[in-house]
Amino acid sequence: MSVDKLVGGLLPYLTCIVFILGIAYRVSRWNRASVTRMPLFPISSGRAQKWSQIAKEVLIFKGPLDGDKSLWIGTWIFHATLALVLVGHLRIVTDFPRLWNALAHKKGEIDAVAAIAGGCAGAILMATGLYLLFRRLAVLRVREISGFEDYLSIALVLAVVLTGDIMRFGSQFDLNPVREYLKALFSLRSAPVPSDPWFLLHFFLAQLLIMYIPFSKFLHIPGIFYSKSLLWQK
Amino acid sequence: MNGQEYPIDQAELNKVVEAVRAIKDGPRVLQLYMDICAKCGTCAKQCHVSCSEPVRRNNPAFRSDHIRGLYSMNHSVLQKLAALLCGSIGASLKKETLDEWFRDFYECSGCRRCAKFCPFGIDNSVITRKGRTILHSLGLTPAKIRATQKTSDQFGNNEGIPLQVFMDNMCFLEDELLEEHGVRIRIPVDERADVLFATTSAEILAHAETLMGCATFFHVAGISWTMSSEAFDAANFGFFSGDDAHMKRKNKLLHDACMKLKVKKLVIGECGHAYRVAKHIGGTNYWGKEIPYEITSILILAAEVLRKGGLKLDPSRNPMPVTYHDPCNFARSAGIIEEPREILRACVEDFREMTPNRDLNWCCGGGGGLGPLDSCEGVREGESSFYEYRMQVTGKKKLEQIISTGARYVAAPCGNCKRQITQLVNYHKHDVEVGGLFDLFDKAIIL
Repeated sequence: MSVDKLVGGLLPYLTCIVFILGIAYRVSRWNRASVTRMPLFPISSGRAQKWSQIAKEVLIFKGPLDGDKSLWIGTWIFHATLALVLVGHLRIVTDFPRLWNALAHKKGEIDAVAAIAGGCAGAILMATGLYLLFRRLAVLRVREISGFEDYLSIALVLAVVLTGDIMRFGSQFDLNPVREYLKALFSLRSAPVPSDPWFLLHFFLAQLLIMYIPFSKFLHIPGIFYSKSLLWQK
Repeated sequence: MNGQEYPIDQAELNKVVEAVRAIKDGPRVLQLYMDICAKCGTCAKQCHVSCSEPVRRNNPAFRSDHIRGLYSMNHSVLQKLAALLCGSIGASLKKETLDEWFRDFYECSGCRRCAKFCPFGIDNSVITRKGRTILHSLGLTPAKIRATQKTSDQFGNNEGIPLQVFMDNMCFLEDELLEEHGVRIRIPVDERADVLFATTSAEILAHAETLMGCATFFHVAGISWTMSSEAFDAANFGFFSGDDAHMKRKNKLLHDACMKLKVKKLVIGECGHAYRVAKHIGGTNYWGKEIPYEITSILILAAEVLRKGGLKLDPSRNPMPVTYHDPCNFARSAGIIEEPREILRACVEDFREMTPNRDLNWCCGGGGGLGPLDSCEGVREGESSFYEYRMQVTGKKKLEQIISTGARYVAAPCGNCKRQITQLVNYHKHDVEVGGLFDLFDKAIIL
């Protein structure tokens, strides 16, 4: 079996299974575990207020904003851009025509804006990712608690960003075969896997990253909702 | 600590590995804290210990990694792969590692400030306490805390005050109150009343002025109250040592006394951890949601009476500049933040805030059972005793804060904080008085 068949034909199914089962395993463990009361004041009174407090933490990273500005500036921009990039990736397989209609924009305009925004996002991700890595190496209190896993995680993310950026900024890349292939993949049909090596590398690394999430510190993505709500339950 | 004093064999090391492995099926909080730390270093920037002496062993995430590292050796896929490749499978815990644990887990004062700033709200004090629980199961608890627990189990109070001494003491304090106010103010013991009052037994021996202030408060507020000869001490060292069985045993004394005296309220005095244990850890969690008494703090009660206009106070009797130290277990961990300020503002002329304050205060440096520790126990060669560590490292931030307010009196409604801050100002030769809130109240009250 050739590399493109492995990465594009077989691996996505494995990635999907590993990710879903892995997250389900972790989350079900957390759900089953006993909950001890450990309020951290001040605590808002209602359930709705608690979740709005959590939303604030998740959306603006209030902890580092108050506690460590130099971390906040890097990590917030990094994560916010990442969210934007994920939405951008959705547009490869689907689009939101109603949204564009509502905003009274034509598809062509959106594509042009998206191309610029995507390029900027790719560059920002790279820059802030490197900044976070630099911070890990340069700031003593972070370096002294950093281990192999921490460097592996950031390296993997940076590798995914780098290969993505190469496709975005390289002039040769044609998105159409990727679009066709991914559409087919999501509807569980077989389709020719694009043979562009950068795409294959990007796709491969991204899948590694996704599979790694349930078994690594990336568990902070679902975990934050659980850990924050422990502190603010009445 | 050294090997001769605490012989540790392989079976006991295995016990530690097993205890850490069991976190996998343990409470949600520990599972999460093992799984989600991103090692961002925010905790170290906001920890008073780490700020004062930025070395690795003072880094909260590093301390927590003692347990997290051992845990992930058993649970992380990556670690397992690495172990397979390197040929060594499973955790290898050494005796020397436990020596490090013993010192490091008692250098965290459990103040929970890190949890305020951690992006994920990781409360390192939970991991610290887990570490102490494991150490305690091997008998590795600092001698002072171990001895205090033993005394408490024998006498029902941490100071080992015999019943007759307690009764005599209360009579003596009544005489003192009479002399001071010219009015007979009673300190009832074992009487039927609405309120059972319990505080730290250290207050009975070392800070009687605070207890007298509380008695005066009950007197002027017209609250029917009593102390219990069996449960006047609400301090609970099981909370510090990680000994849950002791914590429950000690809390039961309070519960039994409330049931016996049929009180409506259990009021805890100026002791931070005692209130947190009574209200948020024990209480309804131990004895059921339907317990027939309410658990509250004298700070809350006094603020309520004050708001209703039930207290006449003359702040000019306390003219010196006063600042308030938020004990971590009152502010962050129990939400008693504005009440003490309301009382203080009514009792003193010149009230000054420290910065930061309230739920973001710096710990006094003696929290989590660190305060009572003086000895050289746990010291590695060439290192300071717990006392010097408290004076030079953990208390540094607090001292700076106090000095910059220019206050001559620090009101700290907590036994641990009082002891630590008193030692701090003496050690660094500052002319600042340290005492309770109700010491000032007792001076300001107009009878």
